[in-house]
Amino acid sequence: MSEPANASGGVVERRRAIRSSQNFVAGLTLLAVAAIALFATADLGEGRFYAVGPALLPRAVATLLALAGAGLVAGGLMKEGDMLTRWSLRGPLFVFIALVAFALSIRTVGLAVAGPTVALISGAASPETRPRELLLFALLVTALSIGLFRFILHLPIPILIIPRLLVL
Amino acid sequence: MNDLFSNLARGFSTALTLPNLGLCLIGCMVGTLIGVLPGIGPIATITMLLPITFNFDPVGALIMLAGIYYGAQYGGSTTAILVNIPGEVTAIVTTLDGHQMARQGRAGVALGIAAIGSFFAGCVSTLVIAALAAPLVKLALLFGPAEYFALMVTGLAFAVVLARGSVPKAVAMILIGLLLSAVGTDLETGGERLTFGLTALTSGIDFAVLAMGVIGFAEVLNNLEAPEQRALAKAPIGRLLPGRDDLKASAAPILRGTLVGTALGILPGNGAVLGPYASYALEKKLAKDPRRFGRGAIEGVAGPESANNAGAQSSFIPLLTLGIPPNAVMALMVGAMTIHGIIPGPLVMTKNATLFWGMIASMWIGNLMLLVINLPLVGIWVKLLDVPYRLLYPAILVFSCIGIYSVNNSPSDVVLTAIFALVGYALIKLGFETAPLLLGFVLGRLMEENLRRALLIARGSFATLLQRPVAAGLLVVAVIVLLAAIIPAVRRGREEVFTE
Repeated sequence: MSEPANASGGVVERRRAIRSSQNFVAGLTLLAVAAIALFATADLGEGRFYAVGPALLPRAVATLLALAGAGLVAGGLMKEGDMLTRWSLRGPLFVFIALVAFALSIRTVGLAVAGPTVALISGAASPETRPRELLLFALLVTALSIGLFRFILHLPIPILIIPRLLVL
Repeated sequence: MNDLFSNLARGFSTALTLPNLGLCLIGCMVGTLIGVLPGIGPIATITMLLPITFNFDPVGALIMLAGIYYGAQYGGSTTAILVNIPGEVTAIVTTLDGHQMARQGRAGVALGIAAIGSFFAGCVSTLVIAALAAPLVKLALLFGPAEYFALMVTGLAFAVVLARGSVPKAVAMILIGLLLSAVGTDLETGGERLTFGLTALTSGIDFAVLAMGVIGFAEVLNNLEAPEQRALAKAPIGRLLPGRDDLKASAAPILRGTLVGTALGILPGNGAVLGPYASYALEKKLAKDPRRFGRGAIEGVAGPESANNAGAQSSFIPLLTLGIPPNAVMALMVGAMTIHGIIPGPLVMTKNATLFWGMIASMWIGNLMLLVINLPLVGIWVKLLDVPYRLLYPAILVFSCIGIYSVNNSPSDVVLTAIFALVGYALIKLGFETAPLLLGFVLGRLMEENLRRALLIARGSFATLLQRPVAAGLLVVAVIVLLAAIIPAVRRGREEVFTE
């Protein structure tokens, strides 16, 4: 937590409306989560205390969360603090796609395809990736994991499925 | 006392069977490996390996997972000393003097004293666990739901204070964890809540899915952003065994570090993290010439390293006796136990005595393995640092996907994990620390269950929480701890501890 020089130095700094954009946005996010939770539990019964209903705890927690959020928003407006840093898109995007691709292919074509797919798509997430090296490595890792998970640990993971031809 | 030894003997006879010895070794090795590699921690690894343990018997599975945890502490300090990269959070202090020793050509001695200190600490805390277990379990059996609820509230209060970063943010993370734990089918009414009509959510969020997404994958996303740091100069390791002078200088720090670490580790809410910091501060205060610290003082390695390992082990105490996990890794152990049909809590010691004592004995054996087998392998472990992250993370993703898929053989779990990965990344970007979220998630269900039960017994009167002396006392402690965290003086002290 860094506390930058106060305005007491006499130098009038460029006044920002938001002193810590990180805390401000964090607080707004918490408020949003709390609102969603309160909304989603609106139709559940809170019950009475001698038979607490399913909504009591989530609603209580959501209320506290909203308070924490409001506190952070206020703090973000009034107290100096960290600003938001740049969010990268490339990493999260390709890793997300890679994971979804695994989910789609593991049952339909099997690990022999899903494994390299994850490795190759996620490889696009880093600017340092070297395609040929990654391809070799992906095949190696997949072979290793097939050996480990299927043959040593006997987990029921399909290895290769070719419709109407082959199920391994 | 006799009981203690017969119990330990029973534990050793379990832990010394060939398969269990093998699993202990694998755990320690894997733990060291991931401890050495920056960017993948014990939380992600244990999650990854959780499904693998389905086929093992529960004792073996838990022995291996525990081995990963303390093995990681060991590996983390190895890289801290040799290349100035703390592989784990707890090894940050070790970089201060450990790496300086390495630069002076005494890397081997630093590694040696770290390992010896850790081993000694491991021995002592194993005994402490064994000795404290029985009385704590007796105490725990007197606890009703009201006391349990209060105890968990206290644990969470400690977790807030001991988390790094701002207090409101730590509170928020715990609350979100509690909220996520409420997702799914309500146990008492059978009604769905917070599921938004999604069938994937009706049985609740799986702990492995949440942990892997919010901690494991989010860590990968965060690492992808930072340009890779490569250690340039690697100092020669030199001889591993410390000389007589070194041993003499380290004996007292090791002893003090062990005590400090063990005591802090028992605290609910991840006290173990504080151990190395506290020990370093203590040694610096006690030293005749504090200026030596930061310039390769062996006491600055011996103390914190012992504290580190002692804390890692004594944090098993709340889990094994009360069934309350003090940190995220222990929360994973709860997951592992539940998967094998063991309900963590005071009954483990009587109902699953073999498991309980076997695990404790295995910790001692594991520490011996780390000392005897692993220390000479340091050179190999350091070579692993040459594996570039661009190859490491695709491999992590492949193994993790398989791990998550095989928890329930469900592809939708993988998608859910992917979503949590994005959530985790966003949380990191917003300056939240995600470990308390996991703790809140695990304790959430237990807390709600106990609260509802307590109110049912008391016919709906919340006053029951204050009328029962133990419960009231615990809640008062929680309030004091939380208030203390807000008082400026304490807050500053807390920041100092973490920035030193």
